[in-house]
Amino acid sequence: MSELEYHRPGNMEDALRLAELEGASFIAGGTDLMVQMRAGKRAPAALISLRGVPGLDGVDAGPPVRIGALTRVADIVESAHIERHFGALHDGARPFGSVQIRNAATLGGNLVNASPAADLAPPLLVHDAVVQLRTANEERSVPLAEWFVGPGQTVLRPAELVLDVTLRGPCGGGSAFLRKTRVSMDIAIVSVAAYVRLEAGRCVEARVAVGAAAPTPMRLPAVEAALLDRPLDEATFAEVRRLAAEEVRPIDDLRASADYRRHLVSVFAVRALRAACERSEA
Amino acid sequence: MKVRCELKVNGEQVIVHVAATARLIDLLREPLGLLGTKEGCGNGECGACTVLVDGRAINACLYPALEAAGRSVVTVEGLGGNKGGLSVVQRAFVEGGGVQCGFCTPGMIMSATALLEREPDPSEARIRSALTGNLCRCTGYTQIVESIRSAATELAQGEEERDA
Repeated sequence: MSELEYHRPGNMEDALRLAELEGASFIAGGTDLMVQMRAGKRAPAALISLRGVPGLDGVDAGPPVRIGALTRVADIVESAHIERHFGALHDGARPFGSVQIRNAATLGGNLVNASPAADLAPPLLVHDAVVQLRTANEERSVPLAEWFVGPGQTVLRPAELVLDVTLRGPCGGGSAFLRKTRVSMDIAIVSVAAYVRLEAGRCVEARVAVGAAAPTPMRLPAVEAALLDRPLDEATFAEVRRLAAEEVRPIDDLRASADYRRHLVSVFAVRALRAACERSEA
Repeated sequence: MKVRCELKVNGEQVIVHVAATARLIDLLREPLGLLGTKEGCGNGECGACTVLVDGRAINACLYPALEAAGRSVVTVEGLGGNKGGLSVVQRAFVEGGGVQCGFCTPGMIMSATALLEREPDPSEARIRSALTGNLCRCTGYTQIVESIRSAATELAQGEEERDA
């Protein structure tokens, strides 16, 4: 008989104190953790439920926009502010998992689980997200670009809690996110997010990020550099296609070959840029 | 060692004792004997275990039982009202041929019920999107979607629930 303990702290101080127990793990929506526990990949001695800790969920328009770590993906989909000003994040949240998964899964959980294919990661990366963290003794912030260090690996410290993510903006540009899956409920084969801001028909700000095309979700700095001060025309897009396919580091796996992933990244980078551009003008 | 858990299930306050490792699906099926909620995959992919927790459709196979304490859960057994009849959605599945082996059916009905509460007039595309997390190996989904459309129509016409 397992001796797992299940705690439901009613405030953050208790949650952070309990996190220091040997073998303790926070649990939010549980949509990754419960699956991993069942598969024997995780075996916490204690689960610390975050659902009862106030102040951890919700979208605050600020500025800066602040999204609590316990905000459910379903609530991100329903946020009018996010749909209007952070289109890529809305695009990533909308087809995430299924209705049932979106009603439980959280922003914090998606980032801590740190799948290379995490659907919320590329949208957050193109909006320069920063992660706020706390332990019982310390608070710190980590730019999301520095958060992922490998598949399923982050810079999260023991007994550390993700509080929220802040986003830059709205800054007047537009963003979009596309992903390719085999069926509607599936891990992405690849995904691409793009943010652009245009002035007088030229791109003055560009951020492009991919998922499932490298060991971690990542930005594409070479692609971004090729966009700056250029009009988003066919010549620029041809360059984007070439650079995007070169910059990613995909693998062959059961969902797709590395070659197909490179191809998809180059196609989707352009589609995401076109869609971001349309939203930028809107 | 079992832990006390008090929650509302299908409108009634209940007290059960469950292991800390139990999931909501275990709590519903074992101490409460509500077998309508099925375990198809145990991983949140098939939706056979779909129930409503505080009004939201979730996979009971991924929801810790102790997390449900203090919350309100509705299962397929709770849809028909006090007289034990069938809800409009349940009746539509029966009459519309939306049931073959029946294993996916409770989850489909729970997802459909949740959908129609939020979107009373969903298109076929919206219905299919809402059922992304509910798999059926028998029907090919056609009559499931039709059953939900006809339930939507009937609900819009304000038909009252009838006994089975």
